[in-house]
Amino acid sequence: MKNKLLFFSLTLIALVVFSLVVTAQEPVKIGIVSPKSGNYADHGEMERIGMYLAVEDFGGKVLGRPIELIEVDSETNPDIASRRTKTLIEAQDVKFFLGAVSSSVGIAVGSVCHELGSIYICTNANSDTITGVDANKHTFRVPPNMAILVRGAAKYVAENLGKKWYFVTHDYSWGWSGTEWGRKMLDKVGAVEVGEVKIPMNTRDMSSYLLQLVNSGADVACVTVGGFDGIALYNQMGEFGIFDKMKVWWTLADYPDSYAIPPEQRGRYGMMEIYWKATPELIEFSKRIHDKYPGAIANVTETNSYHGWLGMKALLTAIEKAGTTDVDSVIKSLEGLIICDNKQPDPTYIRPWDHQFIDTMFFGHDIPGAEGDDITEVLFTAPCKDFARTMTENPIDLTK
Amino acid sequence: MNTTLCLALLFNGIVLGLIWSVIAIGFSLVLGVGQTINFAHGLLFTFGAYFFFSISRNTSFWIAVIAAPILVAIMSLFLEVVLVRRVYGQDPLFGLLITFGFAIAMEEVIRMVWGKAAYSVSTPIFARGQLILGNFVYSRFRILLALFALTILLLVLWFMSKTSFGAIVKAGMFNSEMISALGHNLPLLRTLVFVMGGLLAGLAGVIGAPLWSIKSGMGTDVLMPGFIIALIGGLGSIKGTIIGGLLVGITTSLAVLVIPRFTDIIPYVMLIAVLFYKPKGLYGEVTILGEVRE
Repeated sequence: MKNKLLFFSLTLIALVVFSLVVTAQEPVKIGIVSPKSGNYADHGEMERIGMYLAVEDFGGKVLGRPIELIEVDSETNPDIASRRTKTLIEAQDVKFFLGAVSSSVGIAVGSVCHELGSIYICTNANSDTITGVDANKHTFRVPPNMAILVRGAAKYVAENLGKKWYFVTHDYSWGWSGTEWGRKMLDKVGAVEVGEVKIPMNTRDMSSYLLQLVNSGADVACVTVGGFDGIALYNQMGEFGIFDKMKVWWTLADYPDSYAIPPEQRGRYGMMEIYWKATPELIEFSKRIHDKYPGAIANVTETNSYHGWLGMKALLTAIEKAGTTDVDSVIKSLEGLIICDNKQPDPTYIRPWDHQFIDTMFFGHDIPGAEGDDITEVLFTAPCKDFARTMTENPIDLTK
Repeated sequence: MNTTLCLALLFNGIVLGLIWSVIAIGFSLVLGVGQTINFAHGLLFTFGAYFFFSISRNTSFWIAVIAAPILVAIMSLFLEVVLVRRVYGQDPLFGLLITFGFAIAMEEVIRMVWGKAAYSVSTPIFARGQLILGNFVYSRFRILLALFALTILLLVLWFMSKTSFGAIVKAGMFNSEMISALGHNLPLLRTLVFVMGGLLAGLAGVIGAPLWSIKSGMGTDVLMPGFIIALIGGLGSIKGTIIGGLLVGITTSLAVLVIPRFTDIIPYVMLIAVLFYKPKGLYGEVTILGEVRE
């Protein structure tokens, strides 16, 4: 009897030890829902580079377990992205997600994650609604939203560039956000609206829209257009001599896009989420990206790469801090997290009540004709916290 | 309404129409003679743009203008000999599928070679600046590209109407079997027309590269409008394709004044309207689907 008891005890201990070993070896799965095709395919590639670098910084492990990244192509399409996210959660029990680029995709993925109880860190989408009316306890957002970006620049634009604004809007949630905040700022900065044109997604020829802009009598074109469409618009603005007729203010300037424009056709102003020469750490990060991925768009730290890196770093730091992969514990760990080694001039702080990451932004101007990597002049930096919506303006509290 | 703006948009529509016609004309010829829906036409356009970008960066603008379409024509010869030739005379769906599959595979090759980033081509110095007439402002480069497109269209029109080869091609559109019966080499004719279509796609890529940012999926963006213009004009009809291109260009450009958010659907609406009254298109005399049904 004693022998039997000993045998069962030893077997039980062996099973427990074995299961612990197996759990320790079991990878922590992280889903990357990012565009490999569609309007933001290049941005998707760059954000994935950043995510992989963050995993590399953690030695490929979190809580002593290997990290497994599972990539799916969002195709810059909310329906496809949400379907593929759902499949990863249901079929592979993925609890953590990063990615987006397009705000419509970010909103859709955030909604699926909330419904099925996974954490989603939206790495590169700026629509207000992600941390506003569409906010939920499972979704966090890395880049500044349009309220921050537009409010941070509006006063300077009105005082230095002009007061008659013509809005050029990408016709989806992110573009609407940019224009909506531009309109809200008109009275506050003494500017007036002289018109608006909405550009559908995947428009390549902008000539008809630009002719309207030329004839608008505006001092400033207030542009919220991104991706390949944004590059096409920027290029064709140079072709139509827009920069000689008025100032062009990109509410969100993905500054690496400027490298895709011939030097003589550059000339926009814009708010940038990061600037590659802001700190020695970012310059070093640029070199690291370029060494590892020589095919990268430019020899500089690209916004999407940085946000991919920061989002992944925040998630892995929060998991380590929580000491578990339990979703609720990791959410608590993310809320209020301060990341000091973020390569930026100021630390990144995650606001607990709306899950918005807060750090620094840069307003700059592309120098026409400048060659090489150094093509943008930073005119001022602005702390995001000074321009982010308050709880009164955005009445949600995700901590409850 | 601002008259200058209306005139500027009308002018822009004509410019766009000419450029669209060059994109559509090669598609239309291949569809007419080979009775093959060449869904790789957009891919050939894309290669034209990328070749132009790479060659002009490393050599000169003018070498790129000549070399890029020739390289695309060689590519299209390969495509025709290896794949498309096998589906002549069969259901047009086979041609569509085989060229569609080829286009998807080669788009990946483009991403591997040139990456996913978008590129732009510098405007040559002689074409920089704008034409300014009072309040009318227009890109000088775009006007030159439109003239280039017009020259190509007139050359194709002349070639098809004034040369014996053109006459054979036109006859091939109506009855390809009769061409064989008269002793002409039908497979060779189809190959030559396919290569000519490729050359025109390459030329369209040269025109499109400086206008629109260059990226791997740019062929997909022009494929459907090109197909629609070919159908509006009538399969294989050069005149019809040019008129179809101008109609689409002008209406799309002017629509920005009224329904800027829905300009994308204008070509589709026009196609429905034209096919409702003229099922073979404006100047078409054959329909491949009609032949299949018969």
